Amino acid sequence: MKTRLPIAICFIFGIFTLIQYFTSDPTMALIYAEILDWMQIIFVFTLLVGVVTIFKIHSIKIARQQNNWPYSLLTIIGIAVMAILGFTRGTDWGSPFLWIFMNIQVPMQSTMFALLAFYVASAAYRGFRFRNKEAAVLLITAIIVMLGRVPLGHQISDFIPRVAEWIIDNPSVAAKRGILIGIGLGSITTALRVILGVERSYVGGK
Amino acid sequence: MDLSRLDRRVIFVLMGLAVIIPILFNITTDVEITRDTLDIYNEIEDLESGEFVMISFDFEASSYPEMYPLALATLNHLFKKNLKVIGLALFSEGTAIGYTLLSEVAGRYGKQYGADYIYLGFRPQYVSAILGMGESIIKVFPEDYLKRPVEEYSEFSGLSGYDDLPLVVSIADGSMPIHWADYANARYQQKVAVACAAVMVTAFKPYFESGQLIGPAAGIKGAAEYEKLLKQRGIAHRRLFAQSTTHVFIIVMVIVANLAAFRGRRR
Amino acid sequence: MKGLIFTFIIWERLPVLIGTVICIAIFFIVTYLVKKKGIGKIRKVAGLAAVDEAIGRATEMGKPVLFTPGWGGDIQRPTTIAALNILNLVAEKTAEYNCELIFPTHDPVIMSAAEETIQNAYIHTGHPDQFRPDNVYYTTTSQFGYAAAVDGAITRINPATVMLLGTFEGEALILAETANLVGAMQIAGTDSTIQLAFFLVACDYTLIGEELFAASGYLSKDEKIISSIKAQDYMKIIIVILLLAGAVLATFHIDTLKEAIM
Repeated sequence: MKTRLPIAICFIFGIFTLIQYFTSDPTMALIYAEILDWMQIIFVFTLLVGVVTIFKIHSIKIARQQNNWPYSLLTIIGIAVMAILGFTRGTDWGSPFLWIFMNIQVPMQSTMFALLAFYVASAAYRGFRFRNKEAAVLLITAIIVMLGRVPLGHQISDFIPRVAEWIIDNPSVAAKRGILIGIGLGSITTALRVILGVERSYVGGK
Repeated sequence: MDLSRLDRRVIFVLMGLAVIIPILFNITTDVEITRDTLDIYNEIEDLESGEFVMISFDFEASSYPEMYPLALATLNHLFKKNLKVIGLALFSEGTAIGYTLLSEVAGRYGKQYGADYIYLGFRPQYVSAILGMGESIIKVFPEDYLKRPVEEYSEFSGLSGYDDLPLVVSIADGSMPIHWADYANARYQQKVAVACAAVMVTAFKPYFESGQLIGPAAGIKGAAEYEKLLKQRGIAHRRLFAQSTTHVFIIVMVIVANLAAFRGRRR
Repeated sequence: MKGLIFTFIIWERLPVLIGTVICIAIFFIVTYLVKKKGIGKIRKVAGLAAVDEAIGRATEMGKPVLFTPGWGGDIQRPTTIAALNILNLVAEKTAEYNCELIFPTHDPVIMSAAEETIQNAYIHTGHPDQFRPDNVYYTTTSQFGYAAAVDGAITRINPATVMLLGTFEGEALILAETANLVGAMQIAGTDSTIQLAFFLVACDYTLIGEELFAASGYLSKDEKIISSIKAQDYMKIIIVILLLAGAVLATFHIDTLKEAIM
């Protein structure tokens, strides 16, 4: 029952939404709109699961004074403060919630994202080596595209951005389309397996 | 010192300098306008004053430095054209950022909340949100971000689904435009224009080539091109030279590493 | 009755309906044929062949395996389902080899599904006592908060193997580089064409495109999964024929096929 019921629900709703896509029946459209609303409601409950999990994990860390437990305390305080401020003082322009978000969270997140620039440099330094023919093609293409995508490439020669554009619009798109088609087909068969109950990993089955 | 095996900390320091120096000295550069940015500009430019445009802030706090100039340029254009702007976010972090940006730019043009623009806020489960808006925007967003019923705003109360929207603009740092293409465009033939992070351009190219998406204005360069089209010289122009220097730095490092490795192999 | 059917179906979507019916038909026919004639072969995929080696390496070094499905997807994405399939097989192997498996994720639903999957895998291999629920945890929904959490886990725990399988976005290179920094072996696979490029440069083994979907069939040799992979191949043949036909017709400016499909 533990796995059969979710699989049965998945089958019914999977078949329904598949058929509904091709029909203009108003009753089915109404049911479909209802399903979309339910998806949002269920998602909010899953957020609740996430919040409870965070509290559980970090509370245990604090209680047992495990490694780095002060960070766990900071996490819980952060969640509580933002939630309380959001509910009591609102999220409008000038509210403490918005101030903390724009002045603490945004810079912190941007800092993490900025790491990418450095990691791209070190990955490019490690990875773009003239080892064989394919690697040479990769190296030359990377140089042309990197130059072509900034104004400096245009200032060196009009030819560079045009070649870069050609590379992005032609061989790159062709390769991407091939990969996308493969991924699309993989998604179709995986989705069919899920709807038909062959695939049970989402309910913890084999 | 083996230049083919540099400590990555040296690379990180040099990279940092390549970014900091142009910004510190405020070095700017000019930019050529590309067809992609022109496409999205023309799409907005062709709209009539008073028409509705939905702008979706589909990015997170992490990419704020890159997306801010793009969002700013797009919003400037929308308000300059006196279009009725409907803002929303399909990422929770984009919610506050979107509201801040929208309020900031609207204020500069003297636009009134509720009359010239509204902000619907955030809906989780972007798939059901995008599909649901095709049926009824107000059903998906009965209240706006300020917790007021959308039907209270006379200018926006008549909104049904995508039929009332000549254009949706997705300002995205990830793959959200693909979902707009897959659901809004494929199912409802909704026109979707994209302003995205530079790294995402190649992922969306097949959709632009096939006409499923319009644009893109991409990254700092796209924002600078847009500023040029709007005859402004803003924050994107100031950051563009730093982008050029970092690209050149990476190319130089790669060439140096290969030459050093080649010399080492010959020995 | 005819009139009812005529109004019931959205005729603009007829090409999609025909395509869907063909795909479903191929799926069932191939499944039947595989059942009748036996399992076909899947070509060797380097990244998948390395899974055993990767887990063996972790066992020898006495370090854990870290598996994370990326920030970009939720449970309804086929890529996440494919990743959970691989997780099931990896969990069985880590249970057999008595190797710790750590699974951080950004989505509470994926966390629940993964916890069930790993627990069942440990029970199935006869090592239920080895399962540690604390090793499967939710970090945060925020992209770079998740990246920071997983990075922190990688640097503190120092896994011997890091498996980055699922839907990744901007955090991909950060995770891959950090794993490289600690000297972990990396096996990566994603449906994101952008992040694939980063993985190819930074990781030891990369599963490209549908290799990720083929992975569970490759590792488990499950008849039903392999039959769906075969079905994909036949669908691909049809698509290639259509592409060639379309290219030839477009060259001679004949739009009949394009108008029929579009």
